[in-house]
Amino acid sequence: MIGGLFIYNHKGEVLISRVYRDDIGRNAVDAFRVNVIHARQQVRSPVTNIARTSFFHVKRSNIWLAAVTKQNVNAAMVFEFLYKMCDVMTAYFGKISEENIKNNFVLIYELLDEILDFGYPQNSETGALKTFITQQGIKSQTKEEQSQITSQVTGQIGWRREGIKYRRNELFLDVLESVNLLMSPQGQVLSAHVSGRVVMKSYLSGMPECKFGMNDKIVIDKQGKGGTTDDSGKSGKQSIAIDDCTFHQCVRLSKFDSERSISFIPPDGDYELMRYRTTKDIILPFRVIPLVREVGRTKLEVKVVIKSNFKPSLLAQKIEVRIPTPLNTSGVQVICMKGKAKYKASENAIVWKIKRMAGMKESQISAEIELLPTNDKKKWARPPISMNFEVPFAPSGLKVRYLKVFESKLNYSDHDVIKWVRYIGRSGIYETRC
Amino acid sequence: MPYFGSEETVKELKRALSNPNVHADRLRYKNYISKVIRYMTQGLDVSALFMDMVKASATVDIAQKKLVYLYMCTYASDKPDLALLAINTLRKDCADPNPMVRGLALRNMCNFRMPGMTEYIEQPIVAGLRDKASYVRRVAVLGCAKMHSLQPNTDIGRAKYSVYLNYYTLRDPSLCVLNCFRLNTGLMSDFVFSCVFSFRMKDLDSWAQSEVLTFLLRYRPRSDDQLFDILSLLDSFLQSAHAHVTVATLRLFLQLASAHPAVQADALLRTSAPLLATCGAASRELRFAGLCHVQQVMRSQPGLFGTHYKRFFCGYSEPTYIKFRKMEILVELVNDENVSLVLEELRSYCTDVSPELAQAAIAAIGRIARTYSEKCLDILTGLLALKQDHITSAVIQTFRDLVWFCPQSTAAVCQTVEACVDSPQDSEGKQALLWLLGEHGDQISSAPYVMEGYIDGLKTELSSAVKMELLTASVKMFLCRPAETQDMLGRLLHYCIEEESDVCVRDRALLCYRLLQRGVEETRKVVTGPKSDPSMSVLTGRQEEPISQWTATFNTLGPLSGRDLCPQTAVISAADQPSSSAEKELLPDDTDEEISLSLGSPLSHETFEKMWLDLEILHRQTLGSPRPRTAPDTLQAALQLVKIQTLAFTPGDTVPWKAYIYTRSTGTLILAELLQGDQQAPGSDESLVVSVKQQPVNQHAIRGFVSILKSVLQTLNVDSS
Repeated sequence: MIGGLFIYNHKGEVLISRVYRDDIGRNAVDAFRVNVIHARQQVRSPVTNIARTSFFHVKRSNIWLAAVTKQNVNAAMVFEFLYKMCDVMTAYFGKISEENIKNNFVLIYELLDEILDFGYPQNSETGALKTFITQQGIKSQTKEEQSQITSQVTGQIGWRREGIKYRRNELFLDVLESVNLLMSPQGQVLSAHVSGRVVMKSYLSGMPECKFGMNDKIVIDKQGKGGTTDDSGKSGKQSIAIDDCTFHQCVRLSKFDSERSISFIPPDGDYELMRYRTTKDIILPFRVIPLVREVGRTKLEVKVVIKSNFKPSLLAQKIEVRIPTPLNTSGVQVICMKGKAKYKASENAIVWKIKRMAGMKESQISAEIELLPTNDKKKWARPPISMNFEVPFAPSGLKVRYLKVFESKLNYSDHDVIKWVRYIGRSGIYETRC
Repeated sequence: MPYFGSEETVKELKRALSNPNVHADRLRYKNYISKVIRYMTQGLDVSALFMDMVKASATVDIAQKKLVYLYMCTYASDKPDLALLAINTLRKDCADPNPMVRGLALRNMCNFRMPGMTEYIEQPIVAGLRDKASYVRRVAVLGCAKMHSLQPNTDIGRAKYSVYLNYYTLRDPSLCVLNCFRLNTGLMSDFVFSCVFSFRMKDLDSWAQSEVLTFLLRYRPRSDDQLFDILSLLDSFLQSAHAHVTVATLRLFLQLASAHPAVQADALLRTSAPLLATCGAASRELRFAGLCHVQQVMRSQPGLFGTHYKRFFCGYSEPTYIKFRKMEILVELVNDENVSLVLEELRSYCTDVSPELAQAAIAAIGRIARTYSEKCLDILTGLLALKQDHITSAVIQTFRDLVWFCPQSTAAVCQTVEACVDSPQDSEGKQALLWLLGEHGDQISSAPYVMEGYIDGLKTELSSAVKMELLTASVKMFLCRPAETQDMLGRLLHYCIEEESDVCVRDRALLCYRLLQRGVEETRKVVTGPKSDPSMSVLTGRQEEPISQWTATFNTLGPLSGRDLCPQTAVISAADQPSSSAEKELLPDDTDEEISLSLGSPLSHETFEKMWLDLEILHRQTLGSPRPRTAPDTLQAALQLVKIQTLAFTPGDTVPWKAYIYTRSTGTLILAELLQGDQQAPGSDESLVVSVKQQPVNQHAIRGFVSILKSVLQTLNVDSS
């Protein structure tokens, strides 16, 4: 079990230290600093064993979070717990940065008190935690609130308070996906996957029951069997195969397993309903075609073509192509048809930015790179060309088919709820080797 | 002291905290308290403020209370007498009408780490167990566990009774009962078991599920029916969305169904998808954990991930620790279909910016070369053309290992080495090149000239290991090509004996010199050993291990820390193996039969290999009986019967026949090699030769071991004839 939790800044100064078990001494804090943060070489492993004490660390921007234990624990669980903790902290005060942690250190201690006890993870749902954390301090609780705490911990629905009321019942649903791609210079897909999240924001009164449907292959196939047979060919194309998915605690998994229907009582406010991953039939929004030619020892010619591969009516945004250049580059001439391209010597790359680009278009950049003659015989390793973009559709092909709200006790129905759905596809690690 | 002027700071804080004006202003007061906590976090000793802080706990502000409690818990063990004073405040809080305050006080009271606390806590805990707010009950249950860890032999019978009561009457769901599990003292596993049945695991959050699964590991089902009941109940968790739950379930399946290999195989098959998904998880740490577990599963089922090899291709921006793991997995996954793609991929890593990674990639290609030598040799030769020091060095080292393991590639390697113009610059690479030149000088026509270059540059050579290798290689070279080598060998010996300051090198030179004085034939006998040893690849080549070999460490830190931890644990388990080992040592060692062997925890191939290479041979003996002509399985089973574990052996009737075995005895680990030489070769008979290595040394145990081994072999021989 987790014996202690420490948070450091990039210099190795302790920002937060909380010890849960006796076997973790004060010197553990320093051991991690000396052996990992101040170590010369690269991080060898996310788990470090120093004097029979194991340190699990996660780095967020320049903040180190370390969980310490002397026992032989389940490593995956500790890591997942650290991520959960990051999520909880982000939900409370935004980005995890040194300044934010310093400003909220009382709050963090409060959080650490609740989410871990004696090294065992306890309730880690942001919504439910809100009742225990008294950020504002001086506020003696009323009888009503006290009873809430009791019902919250005992009740089945730990993530939602009772008696929520809104004048306007609204529901926002975002499908956020990130496409990851590794392509060979010949245009062969080496690996591609989409990791997506369904993020919701709900402002609903009472204890509503929601039902969410998407074009998951298993569901569609099931329905196809019941309906007409000639329809299955069409729907087969439009449904997607989800490799694995994770749900928010509120989703009734038993119902999902039996009927593949996603029904839940939503938490109030922001939350992540589901997380999924697909690997098949991914729509790759862009293709990068690189051409690198070495002209003699002091010159390189690079030509990169990007092709957008989606409906012409859609617009991709924030496109950025990063073409790495060798270390001994002395000068670069760039010609591009669209957008702006610049050679950034500090980053050793040509950065080509295009604000907007419609589907089924093509754009090209060509650059001449002059190299300094060196006697270094090292061949240039040719890092891959990476790309960033944002597109208004889901590259996995996921579609929301319906989202229904039922609330039996209060007098509003599914039609009264205003629903917003939006798809955003972003690039994850989108690389093409050259 | 890390912070200058710390005493001043503490004094100042003390003054501020006792200032009545500050007390009056709540906000200012709280600010000072958070300041104290901030200094405490930074490592300043603020224990002098204990009394003032205790006073500050009397407040309605819960946030302030939490901070003060945190302070108290940290310093209670330093100031036990003062902490006792604080207890009264805490006990008062335990009776507060607000459940939050009650829970908080109870939790922190249990966190006080000092002896003698139990008498004060016991009563509040028992009261807490009956509290009407479940928040408090949850805290109270964990309090029992804390109390137990503070004083392991406390009687918490009453508390335990209350837990039962609590469970059955109030039917607390999830957290409360879950904490009961954590109270792992004395709660019978039957109770745990009934809990799993009676409440729905699915309603628990993932932490809780993972924990319950871990607890179930201790449960021994009474019958097969019950076993299958449990397994079918937990079936859906094999594909849980949380990696840690999946892995925990898998471990439970593997461990509980150890008698049903079909169930195990099925569980492995079904978890392969979630495991692969973990390997592609967004967070790198989780990905790393996933990879390590995949590696472990592959020890028994190498084919399971064969078709998914592309998942293990490295991304450019991944951290090196992930890349290393992925390469190790790729090497294991190679088969006829994917070999060219995998090699292509590995080759692209060879030019990576990080020399470490590049070298690892080259070594990985070398591993594959043991099976697909032609393709790999092409790639390795191509890499030499890059003319980069670290790559050249790594390639030469790979060549050395390759030649040792598969002699059929010798000719090709020699050709390449001859064509290779530039030489490695680091000592490891130099040693490898020299070894190749010395061992296979007859096939590399330019060998003497390359070596001459080294001898001429001897004065600037820093590493003594290279010098020693150079000496040995030159002598070997002299044996096969005397005319070209004689002159430079003379110079080398002269320099090393007369001018060298390193004693080891000089001794080696003197040894060579005196050896040569005895005559060429004598030297040849001493210097030339076998040029390759294909039987060693039996050790490194993987066989499918039984699943039970690794279930015990699955889903723990073991697979993540990998090899580094393995020898340690092996030694630990060997050391504290039988508790009676100390007594046994005291027994007079009159008869060899006194010795008892035990299997202990299994050794991995890597551990064995490492120990085998590290240790010296303590004992060598001809056993006087030939290799039993029984099937290998019979031999293995027979050895197992007397608690000797077989690690690997040469298949079939190949000569030389070798087997590696190990066992444990009274605190020592015995490693042994059985060797049957070539029957046709002159000077060797049919009899087996055993070489024994041991850690730590215990001659008595070796004698016992050898005599047991002898009797087993004799019995087997009688049987088979």
